[in-house]
Amino acid sequence: MKKRLVSVLMAATVLATLFTGCGGKKSDFGSGEVKVWVADNVVDFTNNQINEFKKAHPEFDGYTFNVEATGEGDAAGNMITDVKAGADIYVFAQDQIARLVSAGALEEVEPENAKKVKAENDAGAVAAATVGEKLYAYPITSDNGYFLYYDKSVVKDPSTLEGIIADCEAAGKNFYFEANSGWYQTAFFFGAGAQLSYETDDAGNFTKCNASYASPEGVVALKEIIEVTSSKAFKNGSAISNATDVGAIVDGTWDAEAVKEVFGDNYACSKLPSFEGADGKTYQMSGFGGFKLLGVKPQEDENKLAVCDALAEFLSSEEVQLARYEAVNWGPSNLKAQQSDVVKADVALSALADQLQYTIPQGQYPGEYWDLAKSLGDSVIAGEISAASSDDDLNKALSDFQTTCESYAK
Amino acid sequence: MARGTKEKKKNALLSGLREIGTTFKEGDIKTRLSYFIFGLGPILRGQILIGVTLLLCEVLFIVYMAAFGWGYLSKITTLGTTLTHKVGRKTVYGDNSFLILLFGVLSVFAVMALIAVWYLNVKENRKEELLLKEGKTLPTNKAVFMSLFDENFHKTLLAIPVTGIFVFTVLPIAFMILVAFTNYDKNHQSPSNLFTWVGLDNFKNILSFGTQGMGSTFVRVLAWTLVWAFLATFVDYFLGLGVAMLINKKGIKFKKLWRTILVLTIAVPQFVSLLYIMRLFAPDGLINGYLIKWGLIKSYIPFWADPMLARITILVVNIWIGIPYMMLITTGILMNIPEDLYESARIDGASGWQMFRRITLPYMMFVTGPYLLTQFTGNLNNFNVIYLLTQGRPQSMSLKGNAGNTDLLVTWLYKMTVNETNYKMAAVIGIMVFIVTAVVMLSVYNRLPSVRDEEGFQ
Amino acid sequence: MKKKRAIENAVTYAVLIIISIIWLFPFVGLVLQSFRSYATEYGGMVNYLVPKSFSLDNYKFLFSGETNYVRWYANTLIIAFFVALFQTIIILCVSYALSRMRFTGRTFLMKFWLILGMFPGFLTMICLYFLLKQFGLTQEGAVPGLILVSIASSGMQYYVCKGFFDTIPKALDEAARIDGASRARIFVSMILPIIKPIIIYTALVAFMAPWCDYVFASYVAFGHDPSYNVAVAMTRWVWTNDYQGYFTRFCAGGVLISVPVTLLFMFLQKYYVEGVTGGAVKG
Repeated sequence: MKKRLVSVLMAATVLATLFTGCGGKKSDFGSGEVKVWVADNVVDFTNNQINEFKKAHPEFDGYTFNVEATGEGDAAGNMITDVKAGADIYVFAQDQIARLVSAGALEEVEPENAKKVKAENDAGAVAAATVGEKLYAYPITSDNGYFLYYDKSVVKDPSTLEGIIADCEAAGKNFYFEANSGWYQTAFFFGAGAQLSYETDDAGNFTKCNASYASPEGVVALKEIIEVTSSKAFKNGSAISNATDVGAIVDGTWDAEAVKEVFGDNYACSKLPSFEGADGKTYQMSGFGGFKLLGVKPQEDENKLAVCDALAEFLSSEEVQLARYEAVNWGPSNLKAQQSDVVKADVALSALADQLQYTIPQGQYPGEYWDLAKSLGDSVIAGEISAASSDDDLNKALSDFQTTCESYAK
Repeated sequence: MARGTKEKKKNALLSGLREIGTTFKEGDIKTRLSYFIFGLGPILRGQILIGVTLLLCEVLFIVYMAAFGWGYLSKITTLGTTLTHKVGRKTVYGDNSFLILLFGVLSVFAVMALIAVWYLNVKENRKEELLLKEGKTLPTNKAVFMSLFDENFHKTLLAIPVTGIFVFTVLPIAFMILVAFTNYDKNHQSPSNLFTWVGLDNFKNILSFGTQGMGSTFVRVLAWTLVWAFLATFVDYFLGLGVAMLINKKGIKFKKLWRTILVLTIAVPQFVSLLYIMRLFAPDGLINGYLIKWGLIKSYIPFWADPMLARITILVVNIWIGIPYMMLITTGILMNIPEDLYESARIDGASGWQMFRRITLPYMMFVTGPYLLTQFTGNLNNFNVIYLLTQGRPQSMSLKGNAGNTDLLVTWLYKMTVNETNYKMAAVIGIMVFIVTAVVMLSVYNRLPSVRDEEGFQ
Repeated sequence: MKKKRAIENAVTYAVLIIISIIWLFPFVGLVLQSFRSYATEYGGMVNYLVPKSFSLDNYKFLFSGETNYVRWYANTLIIAFFVALFQTIIILCVSYALSRMRFTGRTFLMKFWLILGMFPGFLTMICLYFLLKQFGLTQEGAVPGLILVSIASSGMQYYVCKGFFDTIPKALDEAARIDGASRARIFVSMILPIIKPIIIYTALVAFMAPWCDYVFASYVAFGHDPSYNVAVAMTRWVWTNDYQGYFTRFCAGGVLISVPVTLLFMFLQKYYVEGVTGGAVKG
């Protein structure tokens, strides 16, 4: 009997918490709290910028801004788990955008801001922030791509993959490439000429899949991956801090500082190499060009939405992008910022820029794709698919892969 | 026997109903009014404490339902129909299917609780009336209160634990079982989207073996789960027993030291030790590093990347985790084996191995049988070891739903919840885990020697 | 005969020494790597055990205020303390009621809880999250939230403790009751003093668990760094690429967590052994 009493009491408490809501209003924009999620290493930077923002906008006095460390990787997952408890403004990698839109975790960019964003950022970044016809996010970086870092004393000629691996093997150093990642794998598949892209509608649903992995090009790419992974110099991975005895690593600009420390005077960067396919032709490695985006969550209060819009616009503006580059080396997506002298002088960003002409701006991919690609990579590394596999086996693996990819679009 | 109990239950129900009837028929006006206003009878008869408690239950129920519960309960058949929409740029959230289901379930429980309270209320009235009719006096309020510390002490002791388990275990489990019959996944996510009932679709999915179904993946994950639980339990058990016997051997010194070294693995939090070990076996970890340095291997051993090797490595690491527990447990029991059993065996000229097989092993199996069973079911759900070491990887093209080669059902369930937000399938897998555990428990428990034959070794 | 015994013993010692090395190796490695500074010796897990130069950089980092390490540590300690306290009280209450008293619904309750225990815990994660959220016990309130969840369902873990209660002769109770003592008095002043070992065992087990709680803690506290516990905060350093060069810091953090917990455990080891063996024998 007692237990029932308590359970009813508990329910009553639930009820009470539902009725207590927001407090009173202060200025025109009211008051409230804006929660911002960024990666751990830019928390301080973001706080400083927000202070600037507050100085420039005294009308938003009533609002407090809380910056919390939630990396781009976790942000999307956390937002989707509980949209209402999630951040009001958050940074995420663009491959998550469709998922976020369909879960109702992204508000469309305000029309005025949208015009500005489209005019000032590079086309790839704008495309990445667009779902269907609508712009859903503010690009802040255009550096989510990868290229080659290498040790000059080990790798003599970074232009061919075969040469790099041979040099690493000879020196007893490791060549790091994350073969079981859907993001890095495309360097081979797209490089060989295979295709994989999706179309989405405005609500973030996948409507169509354009894939040609099950093709002679796909087989060339897969064979090359098999060959690379079978080298004794090969190590699967792309994080410099977890790497040991690195001769060369395919990694992105976010690791530039760390790589510099590891290689010291022998630090060098280059676009990705070319490789000689099993068919005897030479292919340039390709891959994704990616972007970090800033999103605003749908709001139940128009005033707060206005504050969020203004802050997101500010945090993605030219000045802040440049300042962010100077603080943490994130390569800007803003066209003017890209042309500034400091950015142009950066070795890693130049290598990335060289590579960009061969890459494909990363559009929308369903979350399952990344898992599927991980499975494919794991199968190769584990030797389930190996050099011993017949062409039929490879074709079957690729056509399974492609069919599964196609099944994600409805 | 089984029929007997059923019959008994039926009779109990009938007599319960009959009692409600007779109470009303033979009851005075106070009793009859109590049918509608809980506790009125006791209050009027001076049993304030009981009466007010009963009345409070009714009032709370009505307040809860009127202000909160009914709003959710009334929508439980559809799980909401109002869509989230925009007014200008403002978002107006529609029905929240998740909360409708959750509080709908809570409301159903509340109704059941009310009926139970009502029944208790009727019985209380009957009891009081009969006592008064016999000319006895009712216990004082103080006596009623004090009984909570004496003959009704269990009510006091259990009130909080039972409530806690109800709110944080029973309610969530009931909720998740129901989720298995909905389409709650990433495309139907509250609060922006609605989800609704879909019947048995999800169960069909997990048991269908076509190209789209998850049947074959489920069977493979289940098979590995069972193999893992079996090996993890018995390999550790025998090795632990072996180590315990080594340490307890006559003439071996520093017994305490050996034991303490082993017990370290229990003391250090697993997320520290297992994450470290995970890196230890990585391609660029210490083990591969040294093996290469010493020239024992040319290229690294893919401990975590090769499916078979990953499984073996996990089992090996689990031995490292498991032996100390088993060593502790078996040590205690080994000491309890009557020494004269060994003495007489030695006189008969038995070898060490024979003594182990004939005396030690049967005794151990007999005593630790139930423990092994719980250990087995615990290993079926051994999340930490698997997740901290491999997160279920490596994945494979031949497995669906993001499952990996080393995934147990629980880690798969976890990944579905957290990475895929595929709650409907996670719920189905959860139910499957329950079924597997229950089947193992029931089929083994009654065959355990110590359960079958309680006198055996005593 | 004597010679044979000596050889046997020598072999046994050899085996025990090898076992000890294997069991200690990860801990030695952990401690040694925690003294390797990432600034001078790069690499995640390098291929040598002893750092070329010992440095306290990683430990300094933990207390430098760059991260919330101290806060996470305090959170975990608070959670562990309160969980140990309340969980022990609840388990003792349940065990006493189920062991010493007979009332209607007793066997039903035990069977029902047994069945509940067969459902995997993670199943209910999302539901618990939203339940806690109703009370404001997620994110900012995650610490009390985690305490609440851990103790709320602890009544189901009564087996070992009840097994101990069962071994205390009922005649003791009966005698006291004839003398007019109430159940509550018997529980508090008679039973509790004689079951000290099991109280310590229960509290110890409850205290150790929160140090490893990654799964639920990460789910409840997500996005709010100051309410993370050590497990949630520090697994990021190993799993997430955002954290470059944190592996040795992870080792240092791990050492600082392990040392006090391990010492406590070693200190109370006797009770722990008594608890597990008792639990195992009684099933």
